[in-house]
Order: sequence, then C-alpha cells, then structure tokens
Amino acid sequence: MEINDLVYQSAIIIIGLTAVCASLGVILCSSPIYSALYLIGNMVCLAMLYLLYHAEFIAAVQIIVYAGAVMILFLFIIALLGGKKELQEHTLQRTIAFGFAGLLFGELLLAATVGVTKPIEGIFDPVNLKVIGGAKAIGLTLYSKHLVPFELASILLLVATIGVICLAKFPLKQIKKSLNS
Amino acid sequence: MIDWVFDFISDNAGIIIGCIKAVVVAIVLLQCVPFLVWLERRLMGRFQVRLGPNRVGPFGLIQPIADSIKLLFKESIITNSADKFLFHLAPAIVVFTAIVSFSAIPFGEPVTIFGQTFGLWVANLDIGLLFVFAVSSMGIYGMVLGGLASNNKYSLMGGLRSAAQMISYELTLGLSALGVIVMTGSLNLSDMVKAQETIPNIIIQPLGFLLFFIAGVAETNRAPFDLPEAEQELVAGFHTEYSGMKFAMFFMGEYINMITMSALVTLLFLGGWNSYGLPLFPILAFAGKVFFLLCVFIWLRSTFPRIRYDRLMTFGWKVLLPLSLLNLLFYGFIKAL
Repeated sequence: MEINDLVYQSAIIIIGLTAVCASLGVILCSSPIYSALYLIGNMVCLAMLYLLYHAEFIAAVQIIVYAGAVMILFLFIIALLGGKKELQEHTLQRTIAFGFAGLLFGELLLAATVGVTKPIEGIFDPVNLKVIGGAKAIGLTLYSKHLVPFELASILLLVATIGVICLAKFPLKQIKKSLNS
Repeated sequence: MIDWVFDFISDNAGIIIGCIKAVVVAIVLLQCVPFLVWLERRLMGRFQVRLGPNRVGPFGLIQPIADSIKLLFKESIITNSADKFLFHLAPAIVVFTAIVSFSAIPFGEPVTIFGQTFGLWVANLDIGLLFVFAVSSMGIYGMVLGGLASNNKYSLMGGLRSAAQMISYELTLGLSALGVIVMTGSLNLSDMVKAQETIPNIIIQPLGFLLFFIAGVAETNRAPFDLPEAEQELVAGFHTEYSGMKFAMFFMGEYINMITMSALVTLLFLGGWNSYGLPLFPILAFAGKVFFLLCVFIWLRSTFPRIRYDRLMTFGWKVLLPLSLLNLLFYGFIKAL
C-alpha cells in the first residue's frame, strides 16, 4: 500500500508540473502551432489529474470537448492562416504584463501562509469520492437539482450556434431585410 | 531477499498483472496489423478476380514480413521545409492513440486461473465507451499535424479534410451509440454485453447499428470515405511526404483503428462474446465477429467508389445526423415508457 501511495502522489506531482510547464509553453512559444500543441498538452494533463482524483467522467469530457474538438478548430485556423513565427519586441504592454504576472505570483505565494490544507467535507467523504466522479452521479445531480440552469445553458448554446450560422452564411443586409419584411 | 521479492509480488499483484496484460494486448494488436494487410490484399484480389500475393510463403502469408523489412530499410526522407519535430511526432501520435484506445475494450468474461480471477481486458473502465471515443478523437491530431508539418499544399488539404470529416462523423458515432447507452443505462462496455445476453442489439436497433457502422467506416478513413488520402486528387493526402517506416506507421494506426472500431461494433450491437447457443468459447465468438466485420470493411473498399467531398459532408450532416437524433429520440421514448 505504501508503494501505491508513493506512486500515486508522485504521479500527481509530475503531471501537475508538466501541466504548469505546458501552460508556460503556451505563452512563451513564438510559433502559434507549438502554442496550440502546448495548450493541448496542458488539457491532457488536466484530464489526467481529474482521472487521478477519481473524476473519470469529467476527464473524458475534458478530452472529448476541449482537447478533441475545440483545439482541432484552433489548429484548423492556424493551418489555414499559415502559422508564422511572431516577432518578439519590447513594448509598454509587455512591461505591464510582466508586472501583472509578478503580482499574481506574489498573491499565489501568499496562499502558502494559509496553513495546513483540510480535506473537503460534506458529500465528498472518502466513500462517496469513488462514486461522485462517475457519469451516474453527475447525471443525477445535473438533471434533478440543476435542471433549469442546465436547460437554460443549453438553449443559450443553441442560440449561439444558430447565430454563428446566420452570420457566416448570409450577408448582414439580407438578414436585416428579411427581419423588416 | 527472495521473501521480499515474493512479498512485493503478492502485494502488488494487481499492478503487475495489469502491466503484463497491457504489454500482451499491445503486442498482439501490433501483430494483427501485418496479418490484416495480408488479408486485405488477398481478399481484394479475390474480389477483383485475381490471385493476390501468393508467392512468398504458403498462401503469401510471409508477404507482409517481407514488406515490413523493405519498409524498415527504406530511406527516411524528410523535406527541407518540413517542421522536423512535428514531422516525427505525427505518426507516433496516430499509432499511440490507436493502441491506447483499444485498452478499454473487453474481449471476454473474467476467467479464473489458479484461484486468481483475470478480467479479459486491460482496463474495465466505468466510462469505457467515452474513453475510447476520447482517445480516438486525439488521433485526428496525428493526421492534421502530419499535413501541417509536411509544408505541402496537398498534405495540408488532406489533413484538414480528415479533421473535418472525423469531427462530422464523430457526432453520428456518439449519437448512435447513445441509443445503446440509453437502453443499457451504463457506459461500461462489459455491462453492455451483459445486457445483450438474450438478443443482440442489432435486432432491437437495426438503424442504430447501420448509422454506427457507417460513421465507424468514416472515422477510420476507410473507403468509400477515404477522402483524406484520395490518391487521384490529393496525391495520398497527409502522408504524401512520408516514406519508410513513418509511412507504415500511419497504416498501422489505420488498421488498429479498424480493429478497435470492429470490436466496438461487436460489443455494442452484435452481443460481444455471447455466442447465442453456438458451442464456442466466448473469446472465440468475439474474435469471430470482429474478423467478420474486418472482412466487411475490406468488402466495402472493393465495392464502393469514393464519395465526392461535398457529398460526404452533406451525407454526414443532413442525412446521418438527423437520422441518429431521431433514433436516439425513439429509444429514449421507449425507455421512458
């Protein structure tokens, strides 16, 4: 059991560190293709972390939706526009961004002074934790407790989809004309 | 010392057995590829009333080994303008995701040997089906990156086509599988097989089976949906610039995906390892069904002409998707009753 625990903990640390490195790569890389690839790596690392915390369903959804579908569209755009390397130049924005990043890092360091972290309480006890990440548990809460917000969100997404198709397919004048008549 | 080793083995038997199973399945899967290539060439020969490879070894069985030796010794050409890293990464992604997606596929009931119960699977996940979809959707990156890294217009078009095609047909694939999930109430693949002990799903959901199979053929980029690698118009698409073993790796990925897709169809619709009265070992029943489906894949290739690209998209979005939504609605309705 000791070895299992050690492997488990070290896996979490290694994957977490990889995720941090990948997210650094996203902003530090000058080639857009590699940036997108780092982002995919970061998302896969997050999915693995979810998996290690027994949230299997979320992990699968993370990979299918973000790493599988969203990022493919990113790559599509980059491929069609031609991924040229960006020129690095020092501007005022860059200095401000560095200052902001430093501030955020300082705030993160402050978090270390909070003290010993406590396990989450409530329904997240060790027995429930094995079940709670499964598709069944998520489905039950989503379709009973949070049914109305869930349906509203889905309607919002539908409206957005139709809007995108309208904007892409027809020129704006035509839509205005059909609305007036 | 010896005691310590034995203690270690008995304490961590689960992990060790898991590792061994993973290695065995990966190796067997890779060994299936040359056989499948041989099967495809032989069967295609018969379909076209010719002999097919029959000179090297009995029935030409050693032909794939000769071919792979040839591929290993070929010069690996990389064009100057190509992105070296991505160029090497792309075929690796294709093979890796193909092998990993097979790991969630069970091929038999648990068997008991020496008092130990072995599940005939690498991992029996509760989200088995979602895992397979998730990992196989990552395989698209291999093709897109292959097209991008080659720095060649035809390859880029091939990569983009393959991505568009796979995203479109993934929807139909998922929605037609949802019909089965709704009726079974589980994402676990071995639960789905258990639910089909009396009748296979193909009899209950014939439309779902048809949709899933068509989408599956499109997902694996097989003819008649092999637009990404259309030889005449795209000069073999995303792998134009590849040669030698890296070229072969794309094919390995394609054939392993074919096996995975056949296994998924078997598990979801043909009753998995249930043999329905025939005196067969469960694993043989499963293998037989997968083999039959693989032959159907090859049969389709030699029967149908390639679809035009816009027709392919129209077919996916305007025919298959509405049909699969209707299918899902119908079985949701039945389940609710």
